[in-house]
Amino acid sequence: MIVDPVTARWADALFELAQDKGALDEVSRDVERIAVEVGTPEVAAFLFDARVPSEEKAKRVGELTSGFHRLTANFVALLFDKNRELVLRGLGTAFKDRVLSSRGAVEGRVESARPLGSGELAELAISLGSKLGKEVLLENVVQPGLVGGVRVFVAGKLIDYSVQGRLAGMRRKLLDARLPVGN
Amino acid sequence: MDLRPAEVTSILKKEIESYQGETSMQSVGTVLSVGDGVSRVYGLDDCMMNELLEFPGGVRGVALNLEEDNVGCVLLGDATKVKEGDEVRSTGRIISVPTGDQLLGRVVNALGDPIDGKGPLGTSDSDLRPIEQPAPSVVERQPVDQPMQTGIKAIDAMIPIGRGQRELIIGDRQTGKTALLIDTILSQKTTGGGDPKNPEQVLCIYVAVGQKQSTVVDVVRRLEENGAMQYTIVVSASANDEASMQYLACYAGASMGERFRDEGRHVVIMYDDLYKQALAYRQVMLLLRRPPGREAFPGDVFNLHSRLLERAAKLADNAPEINPRYKAGGGTMTALPVVETQEGDVSAYIPTNVISITDGQIFLESNLFNSGVRPAVNAGISVSRVGGAAQIPAMKKSAGGLRINLAQYRELQAFAQFGSDLDASTQATLNRGEKLVELLKQGQYAPVPVEEQVMMMHAAGAGCLDKIPTDRVLEFEKLFLQHMRDAKPEIGQSILDTGKLGDDGKAAIEAEAETVKGQMGL
Repeated sequence: MIVDPVTARWADALFELAQDKGALDEVSRDVERIAVEVGTPEVAAFLFDARVPSEEKAKRVGELTSGFHRLTANFVALLFDKNRELVLRGLGTAFKDRVLSSRGAVEGRVESARPLGSGELAELAISLGSKLGKEVLLENVVQPGLVGGVRVFVAGKLIDYSVQGRLAGMRRKLLDARLPVGN
Repeated sequence: MDLRPAEVTSILKKEIESYQGETSMQSVGTVLSVGDGVSRVYGLDDCMMNELLEFPGGVRGVALNLEEDNVGCVLLGDATKVKEGDEVRSTGRIISVPTGDQLLGRVVNALGDPIDGKGPLGTSDSDLRPIEQPAPSVVERQPVDQPMQTGIKAIDAMIPIGRGQRELIIGDRQTGKTALLIDTILSQKTTGGGDPKNPEQVLCIYVAVGQKQSTVVDVVRRLEENGAMQYTIVVSASANDEASMQYLACYAGASMGERFRDEGRHVVIMYDDLYKQALAYRQVMLLLRRPPGREAFPGDVFNLHSRLLERAAKLADNAPEINPRYKAGGGTMTALPVVETQEGDVSAYIPTNVISITDGQIFLESNLFNSGVRPAVNAGISVSRVGGAAQIPAMKKSAGGLRINLAQYRELQAFAQFGSDLDASTQATLNRGEKLVELLKQGQYAPVPVEEQVMMMHAAGAGCLDKIPTDRVLEFEKLFLQHMRDAKPEIGQSILDTGKLGDDGKAAIEAEAETVKGQMGL
């Protein structure tokens, strides 16, 4: 999911504060909870509908955040005060990215023609990690269209080891080949 | 197109055998929005300015705005194939076009892809040049001193253009701007016999920006009919092409020209026209949300034109020693930008910008055009700031008085309308001016070689035309030049060889003029 710069700044602030207060685990858990809640269509429809009065939203959200850590509860309340409730939409992703980057880790996606075994996945993660200088957490997605091999999306980069990618490369090369043209 | 299928197979076999599936790391981004030929892309962290981007479906784009969290780019192709969420790949390559001899005689688009149906260009990757290149620096240039003959009497005699110069052609619609360019292309045939292999041949590049397709077809047909297409490249971004293509076409043409310039050859490049290019640029920049300035043009519209025209140059003879980018010294690229004015308003934004950038302007006026003075060059306000040094001495001498004579004529013409009582010298000036105006008229597609121009200008300066009725001046010119070609070919040849017209030559011209007048029964 694409994180807009405003959300990233709010997530940064929450993360740094949580880290300073030593409450990272609790806040992370709370943020995950928020992400799940916001992800459900009914909650999203209610929260991001301009016709619902802010007080109504704040009240309902207050019920949700009652069990949260003080920092998270304050954070959410402040968002509503500043009319920035849209930040909640991308908060989960932004916060997770921030936590990962503080550990020097990135998330990535491996597409493969058949499901990869956990051993293969780990091996790939290690070799990619050494290349990028970061810890790589991979998720496997099956794409039969690749025919064979893998395609890795990590940190805004694409590494294409798939048969499909090679065929496309060859196709381009053959189309670009210099042909003998007589006059 | 003649393709040899047997060879195609063997080439493909070779390609397949040597094919190595390089697995490189590419940056990828996601399309956030697309519309009106521009797109915003999320991601692409290490994207470069002017980098070529690949969209799905073979559509290409150019990154123009690098912002905090997204990249603004223009699409160079069918935008309907691109949708939100599509994957965009960077290529690590600045947008480039093929260059070289293979392009001569071809019609290509702003990306250098052929659009004339004559098959692939046959250029290789090493022929690619980025479309934006820095202009030669101060030490890599030398002053303009070689003439670039347009074959148009009014220009070569009064507003001479030198190789490496930038001369603006400015005027309203329908004043013969494009016709002037075509005549210039045709005239270049005299430099190297029209053979593109001849190093003396001045090659031509005609960049059509925002023109009607029919106009471009017409230009190409004219050039082909006159055997001028073989040393010409036509870069076309017509009115129905994307605005991005229209604004990039000029730079693409400039890169093609620079290739020849850097090899020590001579090129003349025509941008027809820069006003439409500025409009296309304005459209793209407004869609990319760059702040609008005067007349809603973006702030860098001056730089848009200055950096383009600055690439026209005459390279120093030792340019390769200074910068290994040049293969040979002494090459030139002459730029003839065109700007269309509205209602003769040369003080509008874009015309004043380009006037201040160029080394002079040729002003074409609709009044003159409509009164039958064609080419409709207004000699009063047309200037060439550096071309004088590039005129051959014979022309400089013969045509030296022309400007003044015409200026005096115009001044007296206004008075003469009020009274009929004019003294003899006034009448002589008026008479001379009338003949000169008539002499400078010229048909389309009929460039006059420089030596014949010199002979005519000398004859006019010596007063040989004064007794000829005005409506017979052009008839005299035709007969006289034909006579000189037949009876005294050595005079023309000596002007060409030495660049000078000696006293014998002068006397011979005057004598022959009398002979021709006699033949005409005058």
